[in-house]
Amino acid sequence: MTFSRRDFIKTAGVAFGTAAVLPSWVYDAQAATEYYFDVNKNSIADAVLATAKRLGASYADIRINRYRLEAVSTRERQIQNLSAGQNFGFGVRVLVNGTWGFAASPIVTADEAQRVTREAIDIAKANARFQRKKIELVPTPKVEAKWRTPIEKDPFEVPAEEKAALLLKINEAALAVQGINFVNSSMAWVNEQKYLATSDGVKVEQYLIRGNPSFSATAVNRASGDFQAVNSLREAQSIGYEYMTKYDWPAEAREAAEHAVMKLKAPSVKPGKYDLILHPSHLFLTIHESVGHSTELDRAMLWEANYAGTSFLTPDKTGKLQFGSKIVNFVADRTQKFGLATVGYDDEGVPGQEWHIVKDGVFVDWQTTRDTAQLVGHDKSYGCLHADSWGSVPFPRMPNLSLEPAKEDVSEEDLIAGVENGIMIHGRGSYSIDQQRYNFQFGGQTFWEIKNGKKTGMLRDVAYQSRTTDFWGACDGLGGRSTYDIPGSFNDGKGEPGQSNAVSHGCPTARFRQINVLNTASSPNSGDMEDHD
Amino acid sequence: MLFTESEAKKLTEKILSYVKADDASASVGSDKLSHLRFANNNFLTSGSRLGRSANVTVWIDGKRGSASRNDVDDESLKSMVEEAQKIAQNAPPDREYMPTLGKQTYKSTGGYVEATANLSLNDRAKSVSNIIAEFEKNKVIGAGFHSARSQAGASATKNGNFEFERSTNVSLSVTSRTPDGTSSGYFLRNHFDIAKLDTKRIASESIKKAMQGRDARTIDPGSYTVILEPQAVADIVGNLSFGFNARNAEEGRSVYSAPGGKTRLGEKIFDERIMIYSDPWHPELPGSQSAQGGIPAQKIYMVRNGVLENLVYNRFWAKQKEKQPTPGPVNTIFETSGEKSRIEDMIRSTKRGILVTRFWYIRSTDPRTASSTGLTRDGVWLIEDGKIAYPVKNFRFNQSVTQMLAPGNVEMIGVSERVGGSGGGSGASLLPALKLKSFNFTSQSEAV
Repeated sequence: MTFSRRDFIKTAGVAFGTAAVLPSWVYDAQAATEYYFDVNKNSIADAVLATAKRLGASYADIRINRYRLEAVSTRERQIQNLSAGQNFGFGVRVLVNGTWGFAASPIVTADEAQRVTREAIDIAKANARFQRKKIELVPTPKVEAKWRTPIEKDPFEVPAEEKAALLLKINEAALAVQGINFVNSSMAWVNEQKYLATSDGVKVEQYLIRGNPSFSATAVNRASGDFQAVNSLREAQSIGYEYMTKYDWPAEAREAAEHAVMKLKAPSVKPGKYDLILHPSHLFLTIHESVGHSTELDRAMLWEANYAGTSFLTPDKTGKLQFGSKIVNFVADRTQKFGLATVGYDDEGVPGQEWHIVKDGVFVDWQTTRDTAQLVGHDKSYGCLHADSWGSVPFPRMPNLSLEPAKEDVSEEDLIAGVENGIMIHGRGSYSIDQQRYNFQFGGQTFWEIKNGKKTGMLRDVAYQSRTTDFWGACDGLGGRSTYDIPGSFNDGKGEPGQSNAVSHGCPTARFRQINVLNTASSPNSGDMEDHD
Repeated sequence: MLFTESEAKKLTEKILSYVKADDASASVGSDKLSHLRFANNNFLTSGSRLGRSANVTVWIDGKRGSASRNDVDDESLKSMVEEAQKIAQNAPPDREYMPTLGKQTYKSTGGYVEATANLSLNDRAKSVSNIIAEFEKNKVIGAGFHSARSQAGASATKNGNFEFERSTNVSLSVTSRTPDGTSSGYFLRNHFDIAKLDTKRIASESIKKAMQGRDARTIDPGSYTVILEPQAVADIVGNLSFGFNARNAEEGRSVYSAPGGKTRLGEKIFDERIMIYSDPWHPELPGSQSAQGGIPAQKIYMVRNGVLENLVYNRFWAKQKEKQPTPGPVNTIFETSGEKSRIEDMIRSTKRGILVTRFWYIRSTDPRTASSTGLTRDGVWLIEDGKIAYPVKNFRFNQSVTQMLAPGNVEMIGVSERVGGSGGGSGASLLPALKLKSFNFTSQSEAV
């Protein structure tokens, strides 16, 4: 049986109450090496929180985290890398006189924790002397809980050679297609074992798993000097190794290879306005860039002005701005099954939850944390605080943010049937968007011409340019649940120092009317690439 | 808190002493990162992180396994080696295995300054507070990031090689915005020596750009003569040296591939004044003493007088092609062999053109032509009749880098200076301002 791409089961998370019996994974020797448990986390945490309070912190937290990473990569019939790693340490965050301080160390001992706490306090106090406006936190309930990603097979129990063998099988499937010259494939698995204690009564342990398999098949025409590649359409998910065994990866590799050969001979797109049918393997990234980042409250508050940028959205537009057409509904959800940002609790102990960001086409709410929520009058956080390491300062990061499918059972064919002159796009390609998340340009992996309601053949060199509200306003068709998938991005960058976040965007296949399409192969200085805005 | 050379040597020796495999390489690293982020004329987050790492790669019967830890006690290092050996025992053969290097001789590049590694928290807080005071005085809303990092690490092989290296870097970037949100300015510089980081200049340039960028007008996108400030050059070509991959070119999947399985080596791809090279010992831009694969780095020209002089062969590919592995690049230095022009002279010589401060969110659109798309950000001005006429709104561009630097399109080249890439990270290159005859803006962006 192949793994269903359409599996879309909402889960409220598997949270354990204060008095719950510990789940078996906590004691699983495979789940963590023994010295994780040599550390008395609660004892270290209690001492750190007491020291922080004694030295003047109004709030403090400590995260003691272990990260396990496994990476396998290949090309053609060769192994490129087989590696496993662990990374263990802790970070202490304090709020002193309304000013943050943070310090972190890989030496997880009681003495080092005391030193690091004092260092965090020293940093906060040095800066607090010049602080203009105090940072404030909204309250969050006390909680003691444990949570784990629901998986069937722990990828860290699967021998590396089995993973390598599967990748080489994927490569063989692609190489069997005539005209394919190169194949690269890889998979990466991450296990986060996270412990959090705060001075506000939070003690949470979590065990998170996520995987990122991918491949790319390249066809080269050496005579002409031309080459084209097609990457895998499936994306990273929070899922166990069952992702690799229940889904037919070699079959997709063979299909991708056929498409790469086809793409080499495909006609180049003629620039102009087209109706677009966007598959979830492509649309998720457009959602990520245009909706996910524009609705981050820290951006709107100029906290990211120096790096990732601000947002075209501002608090006064909440509940007023027509973000998209009336059929467009976006829901932020840290409980969505397979979602890369799905957790039991965020990095300050706020439980995973779901809420509308865009409802019936209107922008209605933000992504918030304890130090941003009150800036838009909220009295609680939506739980979007995240750090990518024990050594990183936690800050606002994107939750899973998904486009709701049509309530009716609308198929991909139904959407295509309504298009006279259009293009269907699969897969993530080149993507670029401005610092306020307004003007964007996206490419893809495969492009299919649609004429009079039917897919007719492949095109190449396609990218589309639009503006966020114009684009979502042009959405006039959504697929039903049968077209839904939840692809995600493994490494979303933001913040200074730069941090990575994994996040998913569920969506159905969707239709957009009269979007400007460019030809990316046109000579940039020839004038062919005219503006169509 | 960083590893000393003797500590690092002991650790790599210890790792290798646990190895039972046929061949192995080991490395250890330590770093200290100290940072302060400010926004909305206020301190935002600030922290310090001590980091450590240990890595080992082993080969058993030509099969490879790697493992890493960030704990360096005996038990952790032992378990790391055992894990790597277990992976290798069961792995498919590593068909690209190259025996690890024997003893090499390295020449230190001198990129470590003690004062950068030990910056004072109070001095940094005061310095950033002074910058915020400038924001307040000039009635702009400012944000920025101050970061200092020191690193020390070593690598060793079972065949007898050992090297130790340490470096420092401090950087400051500042963004100023007008309160009405209609103009923004940015400036970034970094250095390995904190004494050479001019924080006042960084802040004042950012504020000046924001003040001068108000009331930006809309002009049509299209093909324009452009003057790119060094920051914009850093953003679009900053790491150009690292794109000269020989294997990709010979496999027919690079802008440096030629039809018939050949490469464009020896071809005049760029303007004949353009020199692109890597120099590990450049006093303003010290690079690593070791290049790819651990071979000692050397000064190497990638492009000389516009001609593609070198592509980068790693040890495996060099052996396949019966060539020497390339001892670089370890940094990017882009200079003119001709006259160096000031930006003021570039503006004065321009009838109609666009002055660009910075680019943002650049992504490849076609690797065959090294084409990419991205946007201008934080300051764009129209030049008319040799003078800056007025600020204009941002653009999206679609542009081939090789066509941009091709013979006939490069009009003037400035003095090269140390610039960091504004996409994040602490890297730096030596780059000049450029005046280019034609650059393709494809749409407008209202973003500020």
